[in-house]
Amino acid sequence: MCSMFSRWNWVACGFYLVLNICSPDASGGLVQSCGHIIPESPVLALGSNFTALCILNESCLDFGNIYASQIIWKIKNKLVPKEQYREINRTVSSVTFNDTSSLATPLTCNILADGQIEQNIYGITVTVGLAPEKPKNLSCIVHQESVLTYVMNCTWNPGRHTFLDTQFRLRHSWPEEIFPDCIPKDVNNSCTITDIQFFVNTEIWVEATNALGKAESDPLVVDPIDIVKPLSPQNVSVSSGVLPTVLQLCWVNWISDAVMMLKFNIRYRIVGETNWMEVPSEDTASTRTSFIVQGLRPYTEYAFSIRCMKEDGVGYWSDWSEEKTGMTTASHSPAFWTVHLLWKALKPFEANGVILQYEVTIRDKSSPSSPVKKYNVTSTNHTLQLREGTYEVTLVARNSVGSSPPSVLLIPASNSKAPVKNLRTLPKHDKLWVGWTAPNSYVLKYVIEWCLVSSSSDCIIEWQIALGGVQGVDLKGIKPFKCYLITVYPLYADGQGSGQSVKAYLKQDRPSKGPTVQTKKVGKAEAVLTWNHLTVEEQNGFIRNYTILYKTIDGNETVVTVDPSKTEYTLSSLTSDTLYTVRMMASTDNGSRTGPDFTFTTQKFGKGEIEAIVVPVCLAFLLIVLLGVLFCFNKRDLIKKHIWPIVPDPSKSNIAQWSPQVPAKHNFSSKDQTYPEGSFTDVSVVEIEADDKKSFSEQDLKPFDLLKKEKSTSEGHSSGIGGSSCMSSPRQSVSDSDEGDTTQNTSSTVQYSTVVLNGYRDQTPVQVFSRSESTQPLLDSEERSEDHAGGADSTAQRQQYFRQNGGQDETNTDRPCFERTKQITHANEGDLVGFVQLQISGQSSQPLGLGMEKNTQEAAVSNVLQTCTEGQTVRPETVEENPLSVDEMPKSYLPQTVRQGGYMPQ
Amino acid sequence: MAAAESPSAALRRRDLCSRGIRLAGKMRADVVDLLDAYVEQQGLDASASVAAMEGVPLAAVERWDEQTGTQRLLENLAAYRAFRTLLAQMLEEQREQLGEADAGLGRALAAVLLQVSAFAYHLEELLRLESRGIPGEEGDGPPPPPRLSLFEQKLRGLGVLRELAQWAVRSVRDLRQLGKPSSAAGTAPGLAESP
Repeated sequence: MCSMFSRWNWVACGFYLVLNICSPDASGGLVQSCGHIIPESPVLALGSNFTALCILNESCLDFGNIYASQIIWKIKNKLVPKEQYREINRTVSSVTFNDTSSLATPLTCNILADGQIEQNIYGITVTVGLAPEKPKNLSCIVHQESVLTYVMNCTWNPGRHTFLDTQFRLRHSWPEEIFPDCIPKDVNNSCTITDIQFFVNTEIWVEATNALGKAESDPLVVDPIDIVKPLSPQNVSVSSGVLPTVLQLCWVNWISDAVMMLKFNIRYRIVGETNWMEVPSEDTASTRTSFIVQGLRPYTEYAFSIRCMKEDGVGYWSDWSEEKTGMTTASHSPAFWTVHLLWKALKPFEANGVILQYEVTIRDKSSPSSPVKKYNVTSTNHTLQLREGTYEVTLVARNSVGSSPPSVLLIPASNSKAPVKNLRTLPKHDKLWVGWTAPNSYVLKYVIEWCLVSSSSDCIIEWQIALGGVQGVDLKGIKPFKCYLITVYPLYADGQGSGQSVKAYLKQDRPSKGPTVQTKKVGKAEAVLTWNHLTVEEQNGFIRNYTILYKTIDGNETVVTVDPSKTEYTLSSLTSDTLYTVRMMASTDNGSRTGPDFTFTTQKFGKGEIEAIVVPVCLAFLLIVLLGVLFCFNKRDLIKKHIWPIVPDPSKSNIAQWSPQVPAKHNFSSKDQTYPEGSFTDVSVVEIEADDKKSFSEQDLKPFDLLKKEKSTSEGHSSGIGGSSCMSSPRQSVSDSDEGDTTQNTSSTVQYSTVVLNGYRDQTPVQVFSRSESTQPLLDSEERSEDHAGGADSTAQRQQYFRQNGGQDETNTDRPCFERTKQITHANEGDLVGFVQLQISGQSSQPLGLGMEKNTQEAAVSNVLQTCTEGQTVRPETVEENPLSVDEMPKSYLPQTVRQGGYMPQ
Repeated sequence: MAAAESPSAALRRRDLCSRGIRLAGKMRADVVDLLDAYVEQQGLDASASVAAMEGVPLAAVERWDEQTGTQRLLENLAAYRAFRTLLAQMLEEQREQLGEADAGLGRALAAVLLQVSAFAYHLEELLRLESRGIPGEEGDGPPPPPRLSLFEQKLRGLGVLRELAQWAVRSVRDLRQLGKPSSAAGTAPGLAESP
């Protein structure tokens, strides 16, 4: 390629070569360099020796007379000494470095063309570094992050800097399970594993890898449970206990017992102080969620903090929990008394100068060993806090020269010593003399206290001391008309005696106003008056008595004197319904003053008089009402008939079937007799009317009367809606039935037809059938026919009756009967065709009996009972005796003949 | 046999038992938690009864107190190997069904699976200490169960977890028996000790 250039064009060609070398694609691209270096971009261990070869291409040899001997090596721009070169052959030159630390990038292979022009052939990047060291000091801690989350953080010493890109990976495995590696991010000395399993020994190690090699740390074999740092106890709360010296701590452990049991450290300090105290660790060496800290100071606020770790001490302590404070309760009732000491300043001539200060000395006489307390005071009072006991207070006044003799006051534990006796006062001009009789014991001094009694302000005490031999003093500065409370205390050698008090006036006057009276309660002949005491300022003296003056408008005034201690008085013997005027007067030794008038009116009626009238009247009224109700109740049916006439309910109509062998001996009307026997059936409409004239029992029997009416008038008829059942002879029944068949589908009217056989009365028993031609379903119909068992002869009387379904309650006697019959009907439905059925459809025998004479009723009931008990013994042969066919005898119209002992075939 | 073992072996045995007991205890706690999460996540009724399923080892055993130590270990090992397979299968199904939708449940399931593996390892170590051969795992384990419907899979998972919870209780008792100084591997331990 360069052959076309002249020798003088080497420079340009050299640039071309440089371009070739610099091109990343030089070796395999469009252009080809004149040589290359082996190894290509090596990574070398620091301090090792290194040899590089520069190999020239054959093609370039011919072109430019380039040989290996012309090769020079450069590090960056620095020429490598030629001693390190070695020409291996005419195309290969090597360079050797004994210590790679002298290397730098790039290492270039160059040609010195014509001994002058330096051309670069090739260059490599040399990376020098170190192999990773074995990571050391691998340690791991399992941090609890939440109740269920634990992470293991491992740290290690990565060793020296390698100057190379070195990868660290934390590995952990079980004997049979290798877990994913943990690759540190941004750091090379720690990594956190998130899926930690406890109770299995886990092998943990670190691998460090770079281009120069790989190193592994020593494995750490540990059960992660043994390196747990738990979360500190949460929700710590402090509550005061029963005792004033304890506080209860409660907290929540965030680590379950299944994972580990815990032990605790509890530290506490008084709020405001810095020193922590700790609960002995042996007291908190087991899992718990509360602890009572004892031995605390009463009424003191403490701060608490807790930490925990695995119970066996293997692992790490948690951080201390957040501080929580709590206050102990007060220990006892107050143990101190506050004592106010007062003294009088010395008069100038006594002071002998300016009193600079007073020295108060307190000595506890009940415990002589306790130190004496001294206080320097400049005022004339001092406040002390003393426990219960006897104290000696010494007061000394100091001026610039010296101290006064001490004044001693004994404060006893209790003032139970004898008081003065016979305390009295006596005004003497403008002074008030106070006198007393000395107690039996020797008295050192007397203290006389007095104060102006006021209803609006506290007593301002003034006092003076009298010597022990004195038995009376004059009090100065006492105002007239004012009440003073005077107390005298004897002071004994060993303490103070009880005080004795007396109230006194220097001078009295009449009250400044009279009491205001009013009534508290007014009756017919009495009134209760109340009033308030006059205030002490209004009294102006001792109130000796109150006087009540009352009168009617035109009557005389009555005067009553009342004790001054009272505030209530009852006036009696007053006239009722009368206006009274009352006023009140308060009196002192020096006069009286009357209060305002008050009027009241006595009541017209005394207490209980109104009640005495009203109550009997009310009772009488109630009695009348009650009697009226009872009367109405007794006559309720009569009333009911007037107000709500009985309207038969067709849905509860019944069809009674019977064989009127013998008419019952019931109260058929005389019409029964007027119709000729054997007269044939007729059809009529029954109208049901209430008959007021009939007796009560007859009203109940109305259905039967209707029946009687039917029988007597037509011997058979059909009724309209609400009508009663009918009777018909078998033949007629067939006939009617046929007719019914023809009309049944077309007619919507309800027609009950009855065909009554000839021979109504006193005839031999004949079969009687009744049937309905109604298109209306026979809901709740009731059929009943009962034989009278009273007659033993062949012409046993049979009574038919009909009743409306009144909805009466069933009785126990009937119910089973009905059920049994139903069962039989169901079980032998086919066989029972032609049987005489006793159907009691939800009816009671009791109402049935109402239609009979008493004896009949009883007989009927007994009959029913017998039927109930024996009705099940139906014999199959009775079927044969039944002359009727199925067609002739639809079940619902079966004629029923009941005899004692069972169903009777017809 | 226990008397014959070296002090270090006895120590190792006791350590394995103690660690295994705690592992089983934690496993039970975790499985119970997992059961709650599983029932809720799968929309199952917690009180649903699941019939015994093929392949799920039953923890209930007759005459438990008459079993020898080796018998206990072998039964436990077989059970936990079976659970390992079952749980891995559940984990796979879980991932198929939900993908990463409920990673929490998957993580919990994986954690329990790890614990089951660890417990199986404990059992193998204990068997090694008793110089017993460790039964090889049967190839790839039991034949894969017939393809179940999604609901059947859920129910099966419920059954597996419930039974695993039972096994964890039983294993605690088994290991306590084994950890007793007097208990020898070849002899039946004394009366049952309450877990």
